[in-house]
Amino acid sequence: MLTLTNVQILYDRAIEAVRDVSLQVGAGQIVALLGSNGAGKTTILKAISNVLYPEDGEVLHGEISLEGADLKRLPADEIVRRGIVHVPEGRRLFPLMTVEENLAMGGFLRDRGELSAGLDRVYGLFPRLKERRRYVAGYLSGGEQQMVAIGRALVAGPKLLMLDEPSLGLAPQIIDLIMETVVALNREQGMAILLVEQNAALALEVAHYGYIVENGRVVLDGPAERIARNEDVKEFYLGCSEGGERKNYREVKHYKRRKRWLS
Amino acid sequence: MELFLNFLASGLVIGSIYGLIAIGFAVIFKTTGVLNFAQGEVMMLVAYVSWSLATELDLPLVLLIPLVVVAAAAIGALLERIFIRPMLGEPVFAIIMVTIGLAVTLRSVIVLIWGADAAAFDVPLKGGLIEIGPVVLFTEQLFAIVLFLVVALAIFLFFRFTRIGTAMRATAQDETTALLMGVDVKRISMLAWAIAAVVSGLAGIAFAMMISRAPDMWFLGLRAFPATILGGLDAPLGSGLGGLLIGVIGDLSEGYIGQGLKEISGFVVIIVILMVRPYGLFGQRELERV
Ligand SMILES: Nc1ncnc2c1ncn2[C@@H]1O[C@H](COP(=O)(O)OP(=O)(O)OP(=O)(O)O)[C@@H](O)[C@H]1O
Ligand SMILES: [Mg+2]
Repeated sequence: MLTLTNVQILYDRAIEAVRDVSLQVGAGQIVALLGSNGAGKTTILKAISNVLYPEDGEVLHGEISLEGADLKRLPADEIVRRGIVHVPEGRRLFPLMTVEENLAMGGFLRDRGELSAGLDRVYGLFPRLKERRRYVAGYLSGGEQQMVAIGRALVAGPKLLMLDEPSLGLAPQIIDLIMETVVALNREQGMAILLVEQNAALALEVAHYGYIVENGRVVLDGPAERIARNEDVKEFYLGCSEGGERKNYREVKHYKRRKRWLS
Repeated sequence: MELFLNFLASGLVIGSIYGLIAIGFAVIFKTTGVLNFAQGEVMMLVAYVSWSLATELDLPLVLLIPLVVVAAAAIGALLERIFIRPMLGEPVFAIIMVTIGLAVTLRSVIVLIWGADAAAFDVPLKGGLIEIGPVVLFTEQLFAIVLFLVVALAIFLFFRFTRIGTAMRATAQDETTALLMGVDVKRISMLAWAIAAVVSGLAGIAFAMMISRAPDMWFLGLRAFPATILGGLDAPLGSGLGGLLIGVIGDLSEGYIGQGLKEISGFVVIIVILMVRPYGLFGQRELERV
């Protein structure tokens, strides 16, 4: 459904954050977008949502389309209307508003009925949020904030949900809850999901397909199991050697020259 | 006591005017981060347009007010579209300079169109003097206070309970995330200017009805500005309250201490309060978390 072809993105007309990225998210798919810090993952999501302009970012080349329709020139609200909803990195709640007000903002473009049905669904998914509905969002724990961020996006009724590092800084049980929720949304509602993660092991476990981005380029892509079996990915992203033990940092650095896809 | 109450009442009257203009400052600052130094001039323009409407059409107040609200909203939205929208993405400082330019321009345009003379704003607000216990007010003065209360309540309800009001608060807190929720942030800025023009414009009319419509009315903007700082630049209701405070303190200090204090007393209060609360009385400190 979503297709990016040869996308190049510049900040301030000078910094080339994304050099050449092509990727696809098929209907009903979970697609993992992996890469280390500064690879360009967040920039790609912002380009899809068309919220680069406040940061002076611009898609210079390439195409972004949803089911064949060009998205590049559509304003951000139109992208949301078409069903692409973006959960930003670092959760980005409206910190002074209550949990319920935050969730309701997700339904900004929806009618009254859809909004209250959406709220009910989110409270069913995360009962903890129902207890905390009158709390000021800025004071919630990190895990609760991530639930609000995802819940808020769900109220918007996405066909394609884009999650930017949802596991960042969370305890393992919360990560499990979030990942289970993501899988359930995909299985039960057929929601397509574009999952950006640094935690490759986690993402490849739930994804159907994966892309690895380095320095603004897709360096590897394929079905998730195949990516997870790739020797380089094992070494540099999954942090284990062929024997399955974890590598320490120094060894990883030592092996850096051997990355096959860069040579 | 009687004297005190009368000073208090007259302070509340002028304070209501300051408060309304201060709400205008705060609505724009809160949603867009811009200090609109032309707020007093926008108020004056609305007052002049309303004066022309009132004298040409000879409408009763109940019909004039809705008409003025629509006209003021259009004026605010238009000014935003012409002068502020093209500045989108420029540094805030540059945008503030534009508002200063706009202020000077509006003053001249008003004199060009309506001339430099003052004129009475004769709206049939009959009733003459009203006695409330020991306090005596003109109907027009009471109108200013009532207007303030009604507008402040409306602003509160708007930001708290309406969808678009909530979206304006959201935009103020995190613009990019508001975009991700499907909020058209450009329209929010236009709306903020429209609301500010309506609110301060109503103050302009109330003032013109009490005194006259005159080309030095923009000066009220300068008086109201400290009220916004006092109440909190990002707090519309707090700013309104700041206006009342400045008005009351001004009239009390002039009445009890001496002539001329009216002008400076407000600033003295502000300096003292800002030393204790740098965000203003009701301003929000940024939350540390998130
Ligand atoms: N607003 C900006 N202005 C200029 N350069 C930027 C801006 N945002 C990001 N960049 C640069 O673009 C590149 C890609 O950044 P991006 O945030 O997309 O990476 P990322 O893959 O999301 O990294 P992380 O995993 O750390 O979130 C980086 O080199 C970064 O420094
Ligand atoms: Mg990122």
